[in-house]
This record gives sequence, structure tokens and C-alpha cells, in this order.
Amino acid sequence: MKAESLRGAVALRETVGRIRQYGVTAFAGFLFVALSALVGVPIGMVVLMSLRTGFPGEATPLTLENFVEVYSDSGTYEILFNTLAFAFGSVAVALLFTVPLVWLLMRTDIPLKKTIYVLLTVGILIPVFLRTIAWILLLSPRIGLINQWLQKIFALDSPPLSLYNLTGMAFIQGISFVPGAFFMLAAAYRAMDPALEEAAYTGGVSKLRTFLKINIPITLPAIAGVMVYLFMTAIAVFEVPAIVGLPARILVLSSLIYQATTPSTGLPSYGIAGAYGAMMLLLGLVLAALYVRLVKQGKKYTVITGRGYRPREIALGRWKWPALAFVFLYLAIEVFIPFLVLLWASLLPYLQLPSASALASLTLKHYLAIPQHTGALPFINTIILMFAVPTATMVLSVLVSWVVVRTQVKFRGVLDTLAFVPHAVPGILLAVGLAYLGLAYRDIFPLYGTIFIIVLAHTINWIAYGTRTTNSVMIQVHRELEEAGKVAGASTPRVLVRIVIPLIAAGIFNSWIWIGLLSYREVTMALTLFTRKNVVISTVVWQFWGSGWIPEVSALGVVLILFALFVVGVLRFAFARVGEVGSAA
Amino acid sequence: MIRVSGLRKSFAARHGTVRALQGIDLEVGAGEFCVLLGPSGSGKTTTLRCVAGLERPDAGEIEIGGVLVNSPPRGIYVPTEKRDIGMVFQSYAIWPHMTVFQNIAFPLTQGYRRVPKNLVAEKVRQALKLVQLEGLADRPATDLSGGQQQRVAMARALVTEPKILLMDEPLSNLDARLRERMRVELKKITRAIGVTTLYVTHDQAEALSLGDKVCVMNDGEILQVGRPREVYAHPKSLFVAQFVGEMNLIKGTVKDRGVVHSPLGKIHCRLPHDIPSGREVTLAIRPEHVGLLERDEQSSNSLRGQVVTKNYLGDAALLEIEANGVVLIVKLPGDTDLQVGQQASVFLPPDRWHVYP
Repeated sequence: MKAESLRGAVALRETVGRIRQYGVTAFAGFLFVALSALVGVPIGMVVLMSLRTGFPGEATPLTLENFVEVYSDSGTYEILFNTLAFAFGSVAVALLFTVPLVWLLMRTDIPLKKTIYVLLTVGILIPVFLRTIAWILLLSPRIGLINQWLQKIFALDSPPLSLYNLTGMAFIQGISFVPGAFFMLAAAYRAMDPALEEAAYTGGVSKLRTFLKINIPITLPAIAGVMVYLFMTAIAVFEVPAIVGLPARILVLSSLIYQATTPSTGLPSYGIAGAYGAMMLLLGLVLAALYVRLVKQGKKYTVITGRGYRPREIALGRWKWPALAFVFLYLAIEVFIPFLVLLWASLLPYLQLPSASALASLTLKHYLAIPQHTGALPFINTIILMFAVPTATMVLSVLVSWVVVRTQVKFRGVLDTLAFVPHAVPGILLAVGLAYLGLAYRDIFPLYGTIFIIVLAHTINWIAYGTRTTNSVMIQVHRELEEAGKVAGASTPRVLVRIVIPLIAAGIFNSWIWIGLLSYREVTMALTLFTRKNVVISTVVWQFWGSGWIPEVSALGVVLILFALFVVGVLRFAFARVGEVGSAA
Repeated sequence: MIRVSGLRKSFAARHGTVRALQGIDLEVGAGEFCVLLGPSGSGKTTTLRCVAGLERPDAGEIEIGGVLVNSPPRGIYVPTEKRDIGMVFQSYAIWPHMTVFQNIAFPLTQGYRRVPKNLVAEKVRQALKLVQLEGLADRPATDLSGGQQQRVAMARALVTEPKILLMDEPLSNLDARLRERMRVELKKITRAIGVTTLYVTHDQAEALSLGDKVCVMNDGEILQVGRPREVYAHPKSLFVAQFVGEMNLIKGTVKDRGVVHSPLGKIHCRLPHDIPSGREVTLAIRPEHVGLLERDEQSSNSLRGQVVTKNYLGDAALLEIEANGVVLIVKLPGDTDLQVGQQASVFLPPDRWHVYP
């Protein structure tokens, strides 16, 4: 009797164990299907629309007509050239500033390091389109303040400078890439064992030779990784190509796709957009694969170090001031000047050079008029976006990371790769794909024109970022910490609540905030999916700019930036104890 | 071969400055193997890094092979790469983007001590032979085991035939068994080529077995320098006594003529002349010097005790004996028959006691 019940208990336990194991696998399978749908459907839509002509939803036979039309047009190759030239240019500009910045902040005794770090973070928070608008206000041939000023001083007939060319576009985009590239490279640099450098010195090798033969080759995979990543992003970005490129008639793939789907006159042509989109998608996927390979290569080069010491900081001596001047020149271009220009423009009835009469006419009326112009809807929608997107993204990311990091499910690697794919898909394509889905299949996907289609687009786009951070957060919580809890007699849910969640909470919350802020300043997808009902603050700014309301754009832009700074500032202050909240790395 | 005098160095830390070195004087003769031994934070690694030129001391002179390489008042500071040294790092610091051959050849082809091209291959071959890694020359550095990386690091440090070899806890990342094998081998290699060696470790067994000379450090100072046997047999201070090997410690008060009153009872020992009676002292005796007999023996130096625990190690056994309320650790041969709970006579030889004020 006793033996029998014992045997029964063992059998029961085995069954429970098996169910649990199947349960985990089934759960992972469910996640896989959900993620495949989220990532795959928009991409599928892009492919589908490239094979169709006519309106979304019109049941036309599949055809290669769009491809023939696009690729037999010599203009296409000019656009491809523009896209690549713009991408190369902006990566070059970004590295020109990033590499010296990383070296100065990581290896030398440059003063004000903490301040510089904070300002670089602030740089990420200023939306690219606002920075671009600010620089147009300075360098536009027609209204640019610097041009006006130079013309007045030197009595020139024509404006000497212009931002409306490929160089100008690449410059603004490159400048905007720097903070992100800085944090990526600095992390890679920090992972390098300083003894590798010191071993060369003790081998009798000079500092310069060590830098060339040891430092550069070892950090090369990281630099190459950052380059490929930026290149991939540069092909996808839309804001600079739209704001600077469209008026200058310099088209790249992203602005072309936008034009094809939301033309100012005539009918949208999703088929043509799809054919260009296919090329963009291919470029993105190839670059993403290359990026993943480079990162793997770089990991092989980071060795576990014996000790936590940092190598001696190089004393800059009298080079301190030129170095600081370089850093602040960059920060001026990136942060100070754009903000001050917007502030100045927002306080004046019309854009003009500083003068006594300009100072006399300073006014706050543009700020006070904002609610009148916008109504409450954009603010409500933006708030929905800022809460819904990070919540959805982080829930999904935590679940995916849990399967990838914590379980032995066979296809966890595939799941991880799938979660990374949105990195390679340009946001504008994702949005176009979703728009097509919403228009063509209104009955089964009734989200077109609502704020939730933007929520969906943002969520899909940021799953890649979200899972990268949750992966690293989960890896840091050693498995044994969980096991120790179980050994101490706590149940699985209790271990989760009392041990795992407190340990990962700060990291998760940090990325929640960041994704919220990314959604808040995002304009490309919001604009592509724009209707009267789902307008958000960033699309309002865009509309104002399109209508030429410069003071209103500036006022709303200043409010936009100050609010983001306020959020980060408050959180940094409130969570100073937790540490990392609000830092970009 | 290495001469260090008056070396001082402070670091700015979160809470004020940390005085890492407070006047280090050290001399290592040609071909000598000198070990810096101390707990973490004692300044041993900082001293080594100052000799290597990887840290710049605040004050003090360093001479390598008769050449003054560091002297702040005279404005002399020879950078690391121009010092005639080889160094093995704790993390080995094998360059991951090179093969074994390229790693070892690097100082010969890129350094200040480079040699004509036609000699490089032969020198690398000799270095590989020295560390018994022949045949691995073309391996990528990332495909090596810990022990192999350690040997490559060694070969790379010695390939230029430097005057001095610096080693910073080179064995601490190896597992116990490999560590012991490498210890023996390391000694063989340095002896074979007769290189002057400065070696940093926190492991006292490593220090005693490797060093021709051991310097025990604590809080940025050298407390004692001597041959391993000297340091072990005659620790000059309580810290050295405790840090190098095991010690039983008992506090007591000096009474006249070589007698100390302690909780254990009256202890007879040799007292230094400068300790007056009435003075509080700490007495120390090594576990292997405490005698233990099953028989009941009455003598002025023995007391009755009981075995509390027995820790059997195979070749030896460590016993805890309680006598007069004091617990003493005793080291006996492994085949002792004494069991927990048994009574025994504890014999404390007067000439084995160390006395510290």
C-alpha cells in the first residue's frame, strides 16, 4: 500500500515535471508565433504591395510590373547613389567626432567628464528633426540667420552658405549619431583589458606603436560594428532626408517611399513604394547580418580581466584646453546652438537677427497660443504612446529574454534572432507595411487611423532594443541567486517576486523610460501612419513646419525638449540611489 | 640588479587619499628570485608596477641593472618601454588578434629591443622550447587553455632576454593542481636562464617555495625581508607570524626570569632582553611545534588537555586541544591514533615560543 502510493506520487511528480517542461516549450512556441506575426506581417505586407498595382485592398493579380518600372528607371540609381553617399557621409562625420570623444573621455584626464556625459545624454533627447529645423533657421539661404548676418557684414549679394545639399544632410545626421555611437564604443572600450596595452610597453614597444598595433586592431571589430550599425541606420532614417532633402530635391530611399505613399498631389502608389522598400529591406538585412558577425568577433577579443583597475589616465597638460574646446564645439553644434536658436525664434514675432528692436519685441504669445492651435488631442495621444509603447515592449522583451536566457528551449536562439530583426527593418517600411495592412484588410485589422496602429509600429520597432537590454539585465542576475532562493524553500512565484524582480527592476524601469522617450520624440512612423485622429505632438511640429509657422514650431519644440529634460532630470534625482536610471548606456 | 629606495605613492580615492606605498626600500641581487608577499591592498602590486614604470611614484628612486630609471627630484623617469624588463600579467594579457608566434615575436619586431629579422624565428623557437610549447607557434591566441596562455606570457616576457622579470600573481588564475605544477616549472625556468625576478603573490606557500628572498608587506610597508626559512622560523612581528604559516596565539603578562603568566598557566620561554616584567605580551607557537603525548607526563612544560576536533589531511592531522580553557591547534603526522575526546599531555618547548610586545 505504502509502496504503491509512493510510486503513485513519483509518477505524479514525473507527470507534473513533464507538463511543466511542455508548458515552457509551449509558451516559448506561443511567443515565437506572436513575434513572427509582429515582425513578419508588416514585412510581408511590403513584399505583397510591391507585387500589386492599384489601391490597397484592390484584388489585383500579383505582378512584377512595379519592379520593372522602378529598376528600369535611371532615376532609381541616382537615388540609390544619394542614399549611399548620405549614409557614408553621415557615418564619416559621426566617427570624426566619436573616436576622439571616446579616447578623451576614457583615457585622458580631461576635466568636466560627468558634465560631458550628461550633455551627451541630453543630445539623444533632442529630436533629430528639431535639430535639423534649428540648423535650417541658421543656414537656410532664404531665412538663415547666419546667412543674413554674413550678408549684412560683408555686403554680399547672395547668401554664402546653404544646408540644402548632401554634405549638409550628412553633417546634421552624422552629428546626431554621435551620442549613440559614443556609448556603444565606450562600452566596447571598457571591456578591453588594460593589461593588453601594458604588456606591449613592458615588451619595449613605444606608445604610438602600441596604439597602432594593439589598441586599434583589438578595438577594430567594435569600431567596424558601430560603423555598420550607423550605416544601417543612416539608410533607414527619414527626418533629415525629408526636412532638408525634399525641398532641395535630393531624394533618398526613405523620403522617396514617403513621397510615394503620401504624395502632396495625386494618388498614393503603394506598389512603387514596395519595390523601393524591397531594396531597402535587403540592404538592411545584409548589414544587420554583418553587424551580428562583427559583434561576435569583438566578443572573442574581450578577455576576463584579472583585476578591476583602470590604466593610468594620460595627462593632457597644456592640451587640456584645446581638447575641452573640441568637446564643447561638438556639444554646441549638437545641443546648445539648436536649443538657443529654437528658443530665440520662439520668442519673436518673426525670425530676425538679434538687435535692439528684436529684443524689444520679445513675446510669449506663441507659447500661450499652443493649446489653441493644437487642442488637447495630440497631448492625450502622446501620453497614450508614452505609456503603452514601453509597457508593451518591455512585457514582450522580458518574456522573450526569460526564454532566451533562462530556459533550455531548443529554438531559443531563433527566438533571439527574430527579436533582433526589427533592428534591420527601417521604421518607415514597418509603418508603410502596417498602413497597407490597415487599408487593405480593414475588416480583420481595424486599427488604421487610430493611435494604436502607431503604438503597434513603435512596439515592433523597439522590441530589438528592448530585448537587448533585458537580455543583459537577465544575464547579470546569476542563475544561482534564483536557485539559492528555491533551496531556501521559496516557491517559484515567490522567488520571482522577492528575488528576480527586485534585482532586474531598476534595469527594466530604465529601459521603460528610454523607450517612452524614444516614442515621445519619434516622428517617422507617426507621420507615415498619420490621420487627423491619431495626431501626436511630434507630428504637430512637423505640420507646423510644413505650413511655415516658424515661431510656433520653435515654441512647441522648446516645450518638447524641456519636458524630456524634466522627465530625465526628475528620474535621475529621484532614483539617484538606484543609480543607472536615466543613463543612456 | 634592482634597487628601490624610499618609494612613496598615494592614490586619490573616493574618501580622501590612499597611501599605497609609504617608503619602500628593496634590493634584489643578480639572478635572485624575490617574492613580494602580502594581503590585498598591501602595496605589493603597486611596487611592482612602479618598477615596471606602469605607475609613477610620488617619491623614491628605482634602479634597474645599475641604470637609474626613476628619480622624481632629478626629473628622471624612463618610460616602461625603454626599461630592460619582461613582465607576466595576472590576466596573461595575450593579444587575441595574433597567433602564439606573433605574440612572442612582437617585442622582437616592434620593441626598442628589436633584433635583426633573421634572428626572430630562432629566438621565438628557443623561447617556446623553454616553456615547452613547441609546435603551438601557429595557434591563434584565442584557442589556448589557461595554462598554455600562461606559458605564452612567460615566453613573451623572456624572449628579449631582459635583465629582470616581473610577475604579478601569474598563477592565481590557474586551478590548484596546475598551479603547483607551474610553480615547480617556473622555478626551473628562471633558474635555468638566471634572470633576476620580482614576483608578487598573496599566497604564502607560493612565496616560501619560489623565493630566494621573501618580502612580507602590509599597509604599504615592508615588514620583513629574508630567506623563506628565516621568515618562517623567525617572524619579526606579530603580523608576519600570523600571515606566514599558522600560529597559536596567547596573551600573557611577563613575570621575571623567562616566565609568562597566561590563561594557559605559567609558560617558560626565552624572552627578549628589552621586555621588562609586568609587560603584556603575545606569545606565539606553530602547530607543528606543540608536542602531544598520550601518556600522562608531569613536567614544568606540559599540561593536560583534551582533543576537541580532529582534521585528518592524509599526510598530517590537525587537532584542536583544549587545555585550561584555551584551544591550541596541534599538527601531528597523519598516522596519529589520538581521537576526539581523548586526554593527552601537551608539551610546549620553551625555545619554540615567539614573543611579541
